[in-house]
Amino acid sequence: MTDAAQGRRPLLVAGLLAGLLVASAALVPLIADARPAREIPVENVDGSLADPGADGWSDVPAATIPLASAPSGVPNADDTSVRAVEVEAATTDDTLFVRLRWADSSTDRQTSSPRAFADMAAIQFPVNATTQPAIAMGSQSNLVNVWQWTGTGTTQELLAGGPGSTTAFEQPQVSVEATRTTIGEDGGWSVVFTRALNASVDNRTQLAADADLNVAFGVWNGENSERAGQKAVSEWYYFPFGPAEDGAPFQTILWAVAGIAIALVIAVTAISVRRAGQEAESG
Amino acid sequence: MAHDDVEIADGVDHQVAMVMDLNKCIGCQTCTVACETLWTEREGTEYMYWNNVETRPGSGYPRDWESKGGGWESAEHNERSVGEIPSQQDYGENWEFDHEGILKEGEDKALKPENGDPEWGPNWDEDQGAGEHPNNYYFYMPRICNHCTHPSCVEACPRKAIYKREEDGVVLVDQERCRGYRYCVEGCPYKKVYYNAVTKNSEKCVFCYPRIEGEGPDDEVHPPACADQCTTQLRLVGYLDDQDGPIYKLVEQYEVALPLHPEYQTTPNVYYIPPVAPPQHSEDGESVDVERIPRSYLEELFGEQVNDALDTIERERAKVERGGHSELMEILQDKNPAQQYRLEVFDDD
Repeated sequence: MTDAAQGRRPLLVAGLLAGLLVASAALVPLIADARPAREIPVENVDGSLADPGADGWSDVPAATIPLASAPSGVPNADDTSVRAVEVEAATTDDTLFVRLRWADSSTDRQTSSPRAFADMAAIQFPVNATTQPAIAMGSQSNLVNVWQWTGTGTTQELLAGGPGSTTAFEQPQVSVEATRTTIGEDGGWSVVFTRALNASVDNRTQLAADADLNVAFGVWNGENSERAGQKAVSEWYYFPFGPAEDGAPFQTILWAVAGIAIALVIAVTAISVRRAGQEAESG
Repeated sequence: MAHDDVEIADGVDHQVAMVMDLNKCIGCQTCTVACETLWTEREGTEYMYWNNVETRPGSGYPRDWESKGGGWESAEHNERSVGEIPSQQDYGENWEFDHEGILKEGEDKALKPENGDPEWGPNWDEDQGAGEHPNNYYFYMPRICNHCTHPSCVEACPRKAIYKREEDGVVLVDQERCRGYRYCVEGCPYKKVYYNAVTKNSEKCVFCYPRIEGEGPDDEVHPPACADQCTTQLRLVGYLDDQDGPIYKLVEQYEVALPLHPEYQTTPNVYYIPPVAPPQHSEDGESVDVERIPRSYLEELFGEQVNDALDTIERERAKVERGGHSELMEILQDKNPAQQYRLEVFDDD
C-alpha cells in the first residue's frame, strides 16, 4: 500500500461514519415517533366510537399522558394516585370521540355516604379554541370548558374562569360511556367522551375550528378521597386540527443537527491525527 | 345601638347570637324535633340533626366529634387545622321502623330498626355521664351551628359556596354553588355541616333565617324554632352588638355566657351558661363541700373562663338569697320575656 493510500484511510473511515450518522439522524425519528412532543393524534373514522369497547378503537393511535398532582390550595393536594392516562381521539365528519383509559384497581361509583367519593375524569379545552388559557381551570380573561365524568354515572359540561369558578351548563351536550377494564395487570377505567364538533352556544368550545386545539386531562381516585383540586392532571397537549405542516418535524431537525455535529467532530479528529502522523514522519 | 367593643366579623353589620342556659336543659329533645320537622324531613337529611342535644360527659353527635379536627391553629386565623369527615356510623344510620305493619296491620314482631341491629346512634350514651354512685354526674348540651365570627368552614370551601351573611352573620351554604366537596364538613371543628348524599350538597343550620326575617305566612318575626319550642325556654336570641340586650350583658358585661371550645379559635356566636350541679354526697347521703361536676371537665369544654363565670353566678345568687337585687339573676330567670328574643332592634338600619 502506498503512503498516500495509508494517509487517506482515516479520512475515508471518518467520511463513512459521518454519512451513516446523518442517515440515521434522518431515519431514526421517522422509524420511531415523529410526533411533536405534545401532539395527540386524531384518527378519522367512519362510524361511532361512543362505546369504549368498540372494535374501531384498535385502529386509533394512543398517546400516554403523564399526570402529576395539581397545584392547589386544598388539603392533601399532593396526595394523588393516578400517574398516567392513555388518550385516544377520533372524529367522524361531525363528532369527536375521546377515550381515556387509566389504571385504578378500586371501583368507586358512589357518593352516598359522608366519606364516599367517586372516581372521576375530566377533559379541559380552551373556550376560545385558538388560545392556551392558564392550565389550572383557565382565568377570568381566558375561560375553559371542562367535560367531567363521575363514577356515579353523571356527566357535566362545565365552564370555568379560574380555580373555584366552575359552573355547570344547564344542558350538557357531552355524553359519556364508561366501563371497567384491565390496564396492564390492574383494573381500570375506559371512558369515552362524545360531543358534536360544531358548537352553536356561547362559551362552548368550537371543536370544528381549523386550528390546533389545546386539551388537558384530569383524573381523580375516589378511594383516596380525591376531589376538587386534589387531582392528577396533565399539562396542555393539543389535537392537530390545524392544517398539516410540510416542514420537517422538530425532532428530525434536532437529530440531523446532532448527527452533523458528531460527524464533524470525527472528521476533525481524523484530520488532526493524520497531520500529527505526517509531522512525526517528516520530523 | 351597636357597641364598638364587640368583635364582629369584617363586613357583617350586626352579629346574631344565642345564649343557652345549660342549667335549664332537661334533655327532652323538643328543640331537636322542632328543627327536624321544620328543616330536615327531606330525602338525604334523615341522618342529620342540625340541632342535637347530647349528654355530657359523652361521645356526642357525631360520635367523638371533638377529636375530629378542624378550626384554626391560632388566634391569628391564618392557618387552618385540617379535620376529618365523620363516618356514617359516627352519625348513626337512619333507622327504619315498620310502624305501619305493627300498628295498623297487626304484625306480630318487635318495633325495632328494620335495617339491622344498630351499634351506635345519636344519644346512644344518653344519661350515662361519668362518676360513680352516689356522685355520678351529667348534664345536657344542645348544639346548633355556632355561626362563628371566624368560620373555618367558610375558609375551607375552595368555591366560596359557604358564606357569612352581611346583615346578621348567619353562615349559609349556597346550594347552587356547592359541589359536594365536603371541605366544610372537614373544616368545622363542631361538625355542624352535613353532607346530603341525595342532593350531593352540604347543608347546615340556617339559624331559621326566614323566621328571624319575618318571612313566614304571618309576616311576624319569630325566634329560631329550636328556641321558640324549647319547653324550659332556656335560649335567649338577639344580637351580640345590641348593648341593651341580654346577650351583650351575659357575654360581654358579666362574662357568664361562654363559647364552647374557644381553643378551636372560630369565635362561636352561640354561648352557654355553664351548669351548676348540687354538691357531692357522702356514702350516707350527706352533702359534702365538693362540686359534683369537676371544674377540670368544664374547663375542657369552656376554657379557664368557666371559673370566673361560675364564681360570678354564685356571687350573684348569694346576693339575691340575702334579699338583694341582681340584674344577672333577673336575666337568667327570664323575668322580662320581651328581652328574651330581641330580633328587631336594628330593623331601622
